[in-house]
Amino acid sequence: MLDTFEVLTTSGVVLWSRTYVPVGANIINSLIRDVFIEERILPQPEDAGSKPTYKKEGYTLKWTASKDLGLIFVAVYQSLVHLTWIDKLLDNVRALFVGLYGEQLKAEHSSVVNCDKFGSYFDRQMHELEGASDSGAPSVRLSTPPSSTDNESADERAPAPPLLQKAQRPLYDTSADSTPVPTPDTSRPTTPAHSHLVTGKARPGPGGSRLSRRDKKKASAMSSAPVSSGDEASSKRKGKSATKRNRVWGEFGAEEQDDSVLDYSQADLRDGASENEAMEEIKQETWGRKTNKGEFILKDLDEEMDAIISAQNAKKEKEAMTTASGGLVGSSLGAIGGLFRNVVGGKTLTKEDLVKPIKGMEEHLLKKNVAREAVVRLCESVERDLVGMKTPNFTTIESTLRTSMEKALTKILTPTSSLDLLREIQHTNATSPRPYVLSIVGVNGVGKSTNLSKIAFFLLQNHHRVLIAAADTFRSGAVEQLRVHVKNLHELSKREGGHVDLFEKGYGKDAANIAADAVAHAQKNAFNVVLIDTAGRRHNDARLMSSLEKFAKLAVPDKILMVGEALVGTDSVAQARNFNASFGAGRTLDGFVISKCDTVGDMVGTLVSMVHATGIPVVFLGTGQHYSDLRTLNVGAVTRLLMS
Amino acid sequence: MAWYDEDSWLTAAFSPKLSTIIVTCIVALVLPILLHGFLYRNAAATASLPTFLLVGPSGGGKTAFTTLTERNTITQTHTSTQPLTVEALLPSPHIPASAHYRSAGDPAFERARRFLLLDTPGHGKLRHYATAQLADPKTIRAIIFVVDAAALAEEAGLNEAAEYLHDVLLALQKRYTSATTSKGPKEIPVLIAANKMDLFTALPANLVKHQLEKAITEVRTSRAKALRDAGAALSGGEDEVDEEKEWLGEGGEGAFEFSQMQEIGTAVGVVGANVLGQGEKGSVEGWWEWIGENL
Repeated sequence: MLDTFEVLTTSGVVLWSRTYVPVGANIINSLIRDVFIEERILPQPEDAGSKPTYKKEGYTLKWTASKDLGLIFVAVYQSLVHLTWIDKLLDNVRALFVGLYGEQLKAEHSSVVNCDKFGSYFDRQMHELEGASDSGAPSVRLSTPPSSTDNESADERAPAPPLLQKAQRPLYDTSADSTPVPTPDTSRPTTPAHSHLVTGKARPGPGGSRLSRRDKKKASAMSSAPVSSGDEASSKRKGKSATKRNRVWGEFGAEEQDDSVLDYSQADLRDGASENEAMEEIKQETWGRKTNKGEFILKDLDEEMDAIISAQNAKKEKEAMTTASGGLVGSSLGAIGGLFRNVVGGKTLTKEDLVKPIKGMEEHLLKKNVAREAVVRLCESVERDLVGMKTPNFTTIESTLRTSMEKALTKILTPTSSLDLLREIQHTNATSPRPYVLSIVGVNGVGKSTNLSKIAFFLLQNHHRVLIAAADTFRSGAVEQLRVHVKNLHELSKREGGHVDLFEKGYGKDAANIAADAVAHAQKNAFNVVLIDTAGRRHNDARLMSSLEKFAKLAVPDKILMVGEALVGTDSVAQARNFNASFGAGRTLDGFVISKCDTVGDMVGTLVSMVHATGIPVVFLGTGQHYSDLRTLNVGAVTRLLMS
Repeated sequence: MAWYDEDSWLTAAFSPKLSTIIVTCIVALVLPILLHGFLYRNAAATASLPTFLLVGPSGGGKTAFTTLTERNTITQTHTSTQPLTVEALLPSPHIPASAHYRSAGDPAFERARRFLLLDTPGHGKLRHYATAQLADPKTIRAIIFVVDAAALAEEAGLNEAAEYLHDVLLALQKRYTSATTSKGPKEIPVLIAANKMDLFTALPANLVKHQLEKAITEVRTSRAKALRDAGAALSGGEDEVDEEKEWLGEGGEGAFEFSQMQEIGTAVGVVGANVLGQGEKGSVEGWWEWIGENL
């Protein structure tokens, strides 16, 4: 069963929610954090057919967004339950909510949206979809109590939604055999036509047509009473909703005509379907009249709801249509206006407007050595950001795109948490007897040992006692290389303070054991930082990578940094991913050191590619040959370089 | 029909016909009205109210406070990803300092009670919304730094809050020191709004102040020791001589205290309150009072 459904704004305010089973607020918070902010979990593309999902603590979350209004619709349910109609529910609720409250949402300097009565729409939508899915599952039908079907007053039904309604639905099935319940797939395109026909037939029918309409209204006023707060308010709202329905209805009617003019081929098909639908609809109505009046209100609300949903869908279609083919005059006027707006600003951006600038932006980023995968993702997120947005005054599309891309780059590069290494060392030393263990991994020849000694120099400057462990037992000369570094650093440490030593066990031994021994040795000899150098390994060699898991288990590093060189191109994404996944469950990389940044000029795209692949921040940049040429990341500078 | 013909439109436009006169009159009268309407609508949007900027780490209760001020009821909130501007009215017992001599019926009094609350996302990746505002604080009247007083009891929460606060105060100091006029920029007071006082583990306001001062001192020293950032190395190459770093407070020496910020025109106050109570509305009278003092 659905546990919670929430409508919230991107600024974090919950506009409307319906809770069946209370779910902690942290579930949705972590969805926002992981998916929308940190983009750790990439949603599947929309056209894959289903809505993106996110799993957390036994819950499954599905969501959809209305970008232009800044709305997020989230449905939360237990992962054990498999609900097939959630996608449809999200779509319908989005269309309904946007249709009903779109105007209110556009108000400036306000977060208030008065949507108390959305509950009844939502309940109705739930019943319909749940009913549709239940009719296919006989076991559920059997479990519902048969007594609750016949003499049910509307008042009783409203507060206890899902169970009772479930009982109602199957009854439809038995009374009218030929699929009276519109399945989600067919209902959308056909409902506008059928509701039209229903009203048309009702008017010439036997005298009581007007009366029945009035009854409907009366009954609906009754039924909305339990949902809303008081009688007065409910009647007022009723009036409001009636006018609203009329308006939408008119809009929709015009829409229908347009459709039929523009597209003859589909109109035929649609008419045929709608006639069929209308027949069944009448049957339902007669049945409903026989049993109780309560049925009508729901029907009424239903029609209104369908009208809103179809109007929204039609609007979308129309938007797509007008961009594809406008009238001759309209298009040329539009083109001139568009050109004018392009210069002056105030143009509402569409996908087509953005295709060319985004293409240019893609090429620009590719030239900056950003991996294609990362480029595509950045451009997609920028496109998502911009479509439906109005350009500010006196700005072109290009400059709008630029600022948006800068924002996206800043967002992707900015670390989530603080990266203060000294602070962490201080904290670890204060709380545990174990030294702070930092290990460095990476592909061959990227500069692991060099950057390790640079970090050692930085720590020595801050008067730490550093032990360097030579866990590269494979490449000849690796230990000797470190010995030279340690000798140099030792000389420097005499001037700067601190103490440095090398822990070595020769070649051919198991690296993980050496690392563990080094930590024990350091603890005994009061070193407070251990830096572990590892052998370089090719990231797509499973045999070499598998030893890293054992390494992580035995040495238990507080921080694992991966060195990547700025020179690498597209391969950076695969490198980062494979290393990130190689430490076994529950352990990932903690950061990147990007070396050789001084050799690439402004083509610093590797930074973006690596962070894109893993969501792990860049901690250090190597910018030269000296021990002091280690820098922290300056997001603003990198963004400027990439955009220049 | 050519333009020089007797009955062409050009001839008609210059001849003393009634229709020509009417059209001219209509154009002459309607055009200014339309222009006025257009300009008026555009200009009305920028009528500025004093803005209070809400900053602070994620989960502090910024959005909750925003909605509470706007609606006077509590609403459920989640992590923000976009800033939110809300127009609010100072609740009635509190009187704006700028209008304390006005009587209650005065329309100017009502106007003075209006202000904007600008809520910014607190997540580490989304702080650029707030920093962009701080870099150019023309409309910002005051800054409210909302912090979870219960989270401050733990080291991680304290560090995050202290680092963010350090950056905010440093931005304010830079604005003061880089000002070119002798008078200096207008003062921007900061309120450290210690939220969630109803929780058992929440630190009291004076302890919040003390802990934050201590943590900011630490942040300052570790910033001093840290590596330089890559800005100069990446863009210039030659100009390795970094521009001199600026230190928060009196030259970055000794222990940091909020009272040091008085020098740069920033009064820092710490007031505890809770937006949410035990399932119902909490009390944020202290914050409103502070807003009133600075409105």
